[in-house]
Amino acid sequence: MSGLSELRLGFIPLTDCAPLVAAQDLGFFEDEGLAVELVREASWATIRDKVAVGALDGAHMLAPMALAADGAILIPMALNRNGSAITVSTALVGANLAEVVAARRASGQGPLTFAVVFPESMHNYLLRGWLSGQGVDPDQDVRIVVIPPPRMVERMRAGEIDGFCVGAPWNAVAEAEGLGRIQVTASQLMPGGPDKVLGVPATLAEQRPDDLRACLRAVIRGAAWADDPENRDDLIAILAHPDRVDAAPAAIVRALESEIVFHRDGASLPRREDGLWIAAQMVRCGQLDAGADFDALVTRVYRPDLYPA
Amino acid sequence: MRVLVIDPDHARAALVAAGLQGVEPLEVRHATLYDEAEVLAFMPDVVVIAAESPDRDTLESLREATEGAPRPVVMFVDRSEPGLAEQAVRAGVAAYVVDGLAPGRVRSILDVAMSRFALTQQLRGDLAKAKADLESRKVVDRAKGLLMKERGLDEDGAYRLLRKLAMDRGKPIGVVAADLLAFAGVLRGDAS
Repeated sequence: MSGLSELRLGFIPLTDCAPLVAAQDLGFFEDEGLAVELVREASWATIRDKVAVGALDGAHMLAPMALAADGAILIPMALNRNGSAITVSTALVGANLAEVVAARRASGQGPLTFAVVFPESMHNYLLRGWLSGQGVDPDQDVRIVVIPPPRMVERMRAGEIDGFCVGAPWNAVAEAEGLGRIQVTASQLMPGGPDKVLGVPATLAEQRPDDLRACLRAVIRGAAWADDPENRDDLIAILAHPDRVDAAPAAIVRALESEIVFHRDGASLPRREDGLWIAAQMVRCGQLDAGADFDALVTRVYRPDLYPA
Repeated sequence: MRVLVIDPDHARAALVAAGLQGVEPLEVRHATLYDEAEVLAFMPDVVVIAAESPDRDTLESLREATEGAPRPVVMFVDRSEPGLAEQAVRAGVAAYVVDGLAPGRVRSILDVAMSRFALTQQLRGDLAKAKADLESRKVVDRAKGLLMKERGLDEDGAYRLLRKLAMDRGKPIGVVAADLLAFAGVLRGDAS
């Protein structure tokens, strides 16, 4: 036997899984006495269910998804800030969206369709805010559907969606294929805003606190490594691998250069204010009851006390 | 019974069809990927999806949506995930089912998924009604307060007056109270 503690961690093929992949491929988990099995999952719902029931010991997760899990999932660290962007199809580039909406309505065409990655996601909230700023009511004027990140580009190619908000590298992939243009990035809409987190089962924090701390130390090290421009070429190589993100290196580099922050400026800290902002968005979208005790919810889920000093 | 199986692997659709033999009428369709137009055209009674399918998020969001057509969903979990189905079902997460099941069990699994779905929809409806009832009680309380202030009535008297108005006009007391508050607003100049 190796004598290492075993952990199973999940991720979705997106650039912001980098802290986990780096910690695995560079041996940071082993340095902490952990034998980690890193599993690529196909959907956010499966990630959530597996973490909630302890079939995974932790995962790359949408921050709002953890808040929506009734306390079964805790956030002991953030994996990145910013990184997503809003892309529209080439037909809509340069168009006034409010005018397009009005023209389609007048001519009896169906509403424009936009896609996000999950109902409880920063992508949904950012897209809604951006649409409102364009004079478009996200509830009345357009249809918002859910499509998993790796399938966004093919659905735009099929003409089923007119725009989307998704994490890197899928916006750059759509641009590279000439299907759409990035209109705005998350860092322009909300500089330093929350994005993915490491979600862990509440039971893990109770039953295996030492393994959790060791895991966090390794992932934080992975995040710091991923942030360092000197490591960028190596990072792109490990992310582009077919078992990881499986996308072209040229598309992956873009968000790394200017958009995603993994660790610097305290990016890895699970900040309560992130949770409170998200809770407010959840209320606006009808995902959380307006009478809920947000403060207690955020205190229960966001756990800076578990973050290694 | 109309069943849509979303799975890259054809074997599962064949298994579901075999397990449902004898159900009349029966139509089992197989799709590699989720296609909204197809779902809306087919209107399946139940959707069976491989748990490893990325389209699960899309299906889950349909359950939340008010428009579109929510459908009960059964998920088949690969045997490489030992214990997940049992844990998930125990936690009430979703209708997870372990792969490799005998065709003979398909029917009962789909039946359970459909009846559980119907129950959830019913509970949702009840919750919405309970919220509406609570809202109506708040409106009645505010209307009582208004009558107490404007007409110098005590609480009991205000309630009796509201009840009489409701009976005279053949409307629920919540509606009468809401009308009263709206008219009071107009008289104060809140709305034009």
